[in-house]
Amino acid sequence: MVGTGADVVAILQDIRNTVGNVPLAWYDDFPHVGYDLDGKRIYKPLRTRDELDQFLDKMDDPDYWRTVQDKMTGHDLRLTDEQVALVQRLQKGQFGDESFNPYEPAIDFFSGNIMIHPVTNRPADKRSFIPSLVEKEKVSRMVHAIKMGWIQPRRPRDTSPSFYDLWAQEDPNAVLGRHKMHVPAPKLALPGHSESYNPPPEYLPTEEERLAWMQQEPGERKLNFLPRKFLSLRAVPAYGRFIQERFERCLDLYLCPRQRKMRVNVDPEDLIPKLPLPRDLQPFPVCQALVYRGHSDLVRCLSVSPGGQWLASGSDDGSLRFWEVSTARCMRTVPVGGVVRSIAWNPNPAICLVAASMDDAVLLLNPALGDRLLVGSTDQLLDAFMPPEEPTLQPARWLEASEEERQRGLRLRICHSKPVIQVTWHGRGDYLAVVLASPGHTQVLIHQLSRRRSQSPFRRSHGQVQRVAFHPTRPFLLVASQRSVRIYHLLRQELTKKLMPNCKWVSSLAVHPAGDNIICGSYDSKLVWFDLDLSTKPYKVLRHHKKALRAVAFHPRYPLFASGSDDGTVIVCHGMVYNDLLQNPLLVPVKVLKGHTLTRDLGVLDVAFHPTQPWIFSSGADSTIRLFS
Amino acid sequence: MAQLQAHFYTDNKKYAVDDVPFSIPATSEIAEVSSIINKLLEAKNEFHKHVEFDFLIKGQFPQMLLVKHMELENISWEEVVELEYVEKYTAPQPEWCMLHDDWISSIKGAEEWILSGSYDRTSQIWSLEGKSIMTTAGHTDVVKDMAWVKKDSLSCLLTTFLWEWNVERNKVKSLHCGRGHAGSVDSIAVDNSGTKFFSGSWDKMLKIWSTVPTDEEDEMEESIKQPRKKQKAKQLAHTEAISSVLWSDPEEICSVSWDHTIRVWDAESGGLKSTLTGNEVFNCISYSPLCKHLASGSTDRHIRLWFFGVVSFTSHTSWVTSVKWSPTHEQQLISGSLDNIVKLWDIKSCKAPLYNLAAHEDKVLSADWTDTGLLLKAVDQGCRRLSDNTGHCPCSWLPTRTRW
Repeated sequence: MVGTGADVVAILQDIRNTVGNVPLAWYDDFPHVGYDLDGKRIYKPLRTRDELDQFLDKMDDPDYWRTVQDKMTGHDLRLTDEQVALVQRLQKGQFGDESFNPYEPAIDFFSGNIMIHPVTNRPADKRSFIPSLVEKEKVSRMVHAIKMGWIQPRRPRDTSPSFYDLWAQEDPNAVLGRHKMHVPAPKLALPGHSESYNPPPEYLPTEEERLAWMQQEPGERKLNFLPRKFLSLRAVPAYGRFIQERFERCLDLYLCPRQRKMRVNVDPEDLIPKLPLPRDLQPFPVCQALVYRGHSDLVRCLSVSPGGQWLASGSDDGSLRFWEVSTARCMRTVPVGGVVRSIAWNPNPAICLVAASMDDAVLLLNPALGDRLLVGSTDQLLDAFMPPEEPTLQPARWLEASEEERQRGLRLRICHSKPVIQVTWHGRGDYLAVVLASPGHTQVLIHQLSRRRSQSPFRRSHGQVQRVAFHPTRPFLLVASQRSVRIYHLLRQELTKKLMPNCKWVSSLAVHPAGDNIICGSYDSKLVWFDLDLSTKPYKVLRHHKKALRAVAFHPRYPLFASGSDDGTVIVCHGMVYNDLLQNPLLVPVKVLKGHTLTRDLGVLDVAFHPTQPWIFSSGADSTIRLFS
Repeated sequence: MAQLQAHFYTDNKKYAVDDVPFSIPATSEIAEVSSIINKLLEAKNEFHKHVEFDFLIKGQFPQMLLVKHMELENISWEEVVELEYVEKYTAPQPEWCMLHDDWISSIKGAEEWILSGSYDRTSQIWSLEGKSIMTTAGHTDVVKDMAWVKKDSLSCLLTTFLWEWNVERNKVKSLHCGRGHAGSVDSIAVDNSGTKFFSGSWDKMLKIWSTVPTDEEDEMEESIKQPRKKQKAKQLAHTEAISSVLWSDPEEICSVSWDHTIRVWDAESGGLKSTLTGNEVFNCISYSPLCKHLASGSTDRHIRLWFFGVVSFTSHTSWVTSVKWSPTHEQQLISGSLDNIVKLWDIKSCKAPLYNLAAHEDKVLSADWTDTGLLLKAVDQGCRRLSDNTGHCPCSWLPTRTRW
């Protein structure tokens, strides 16, 4: 340390560093910082003080805060009070001179008032009133650029925001909207007395309660622990299920999305279609009335006389039987010597004739039941036939019955080349359609009784024909093959409609007596109702039977139809058809009729309605015929 | 033991007791109450013979103890119970059976003889002792129904054939053959005078015939609703087959049909008097001149009694094929059904029959009473019996005789 403050300033004024305006960092590696006027080195003061000395200086020296280092000489300088005040004024942004007044009043050289004489009286420039040639050239260049399309008008700014609410349009019910439907996990219940380490004695389980708790399933326990009593909190052991419970709680909180299920609250009763009660749809067959016993093998077919007094049945035991409906009396048995596959009573009430198919022949029998005059006139009608002079080539042969056969009731025999599956009469009773079990186009033959002619109506076949039926009112022939039902116009000889039942194998066919509705039974246990006015697709498919359907039938008078199946039941349905074209048919199943026992996995083989009463006959594999009334 | 206040009364003056209430033990059976009545009667009349009585509480025959019956029927104990007593009918017993070769379709009793018609196109006359007296053959078709025309003049009538039977010589002579029906004739009925009969047929027509022999072959006197050409508006008597006919009055005939109606006709003019409509096919009808009621049997298993309202008797389990009022008792009728049972009914109790006569193994097609003389007061009830229904088996015929 050298001298007092005043001396040092004076000395410093004298000893001038003469190195000039060079960075002092150049002298960092030297012991001096420059040269004085005499060209002698100015040495840096010795700096041997360490941090601790500096700290003690700072603590002890009251002027430490006003001491700065002179970089030119490396000596410490103690600032005077005037210098400190100057530094403080400069730090505040004030003028260094304390006496300087920055806010002295200003003297106006130019007044704001308009004077008579201008300050300058210079005339206006020429350029101020002549249009600028430079600008003109610039504008004409821009006009040209606009004409050439080089300058486009500025595109309107896209006002759509570049950032938008991603979820603004979101459907809250969609899967993405699950956050809105979020249901928070339930809060944990606060611990109660039973969780205490020292619960009141009424919370402690008795021995029976403890045993009962052990017996219970973990899911149905009221508490998932047993309250226990400990002497002190220190005696409480570690809780064994702690990790598991925390894990389940975490599952609750994070992993399992809890969301409200949108459950449709529908009364199941409302989903059932409104159908009238069966007892409002009476009459229909309700219970078994009569059993017609006599056949010794399964009864394949049956037919009721048009008056409803007699019943004909054909069986595998090689016989036809004629029954009296009201008493179940077998009036007549006609042995034919072969399986009778199909039988049909002539629908004309003026003719007493039954057609039955036996192997490859169709037998026409006169059962000689009922009015004697009717029986006689039928025989006369058959005998009145005069054979034409030149015999035409026919697909079937018509043979007269022998005298012995006439005794048994047989009148005519139509021989075919293939087994006959089905016979059916036209409503007037003159034409007879026959289905043969042969591939090819001669599966269906139509016989005319009065002229004893046979014809094959089809040129090519569309699959194996299962059933045929005549339309009750119009000249149509319905042909059911395995997968479809075709309706042919007999006069125009063309296909009118093709119905697709959508079932695997059609087994049976029946036409509504009004003619606009058709039902088909199939071996895949479906009953298909077609409304011909609606479409070629099924109007309704009824799947009431458990096994294959064998026969279906319409009642000629009452709004009833029935189906017989291999499961041994006959299901009677109410099928009301309305004259109003806008109203669809009403189909209501009304009764399941049981009675036939299953034999060889076969149940009901044929069903037929009584022509005037709401009664139904069914023939079964148990070699009986049953009447339900 | 609880006591019951009972007031006994009866319609039969012979067995009337004093008109005072009696106290009887509540647990007494019918037989005990019956003996009480007998004791009362003995006290009144020393010549009284023991008679079994049956009791009616509010129109019902109690089948068990009185107490239980009253509990079931909710009859109060507090009041005096009105007990009507009637003579007890002993159960009819089968006495003998008569064998036919084929199914018997109908049966008719007379004073001393029984007439049966069969599916083998014959009819037979039997004595009441069950001996076959006479067989008539000559029918061309199944005999469906027959009737006695005159019991004293000994002629009998078979479906559209008129036969005369001479008892002394035991010979049958065919008198007439009525032709005109276009269907099988299912039912015939003869009027009281025996001069007229009419037939109902499957061809939906009723025809009235005269039994008085004339020279003409066909006896058609009048035919109600002549078919087709003559009366077009009302062609047929019924729209369906006629199943049963009867004379309800000398001027009134009644027919039932499969078209679910009972129609009453005027026999003289042939006009329709009234029509009763049911829900089911009617199989049979019977009229009692004693109580003036019609009873019909139908295929819905009920027997219906037609007076101001309709009362149904329901106990059969199959079609009712035959209903007949008793000719001697105004409240009894029998019914035969295809469920092989003949039932004897009292019209006071419509829920349960008096007796079930289940001696048959096959369907009952016809049942009838014979009105024997006044001395015996016996009732014969004719039924038929079959052991097999193949059609060619012997069948037997079984009358039951009950005496009281």
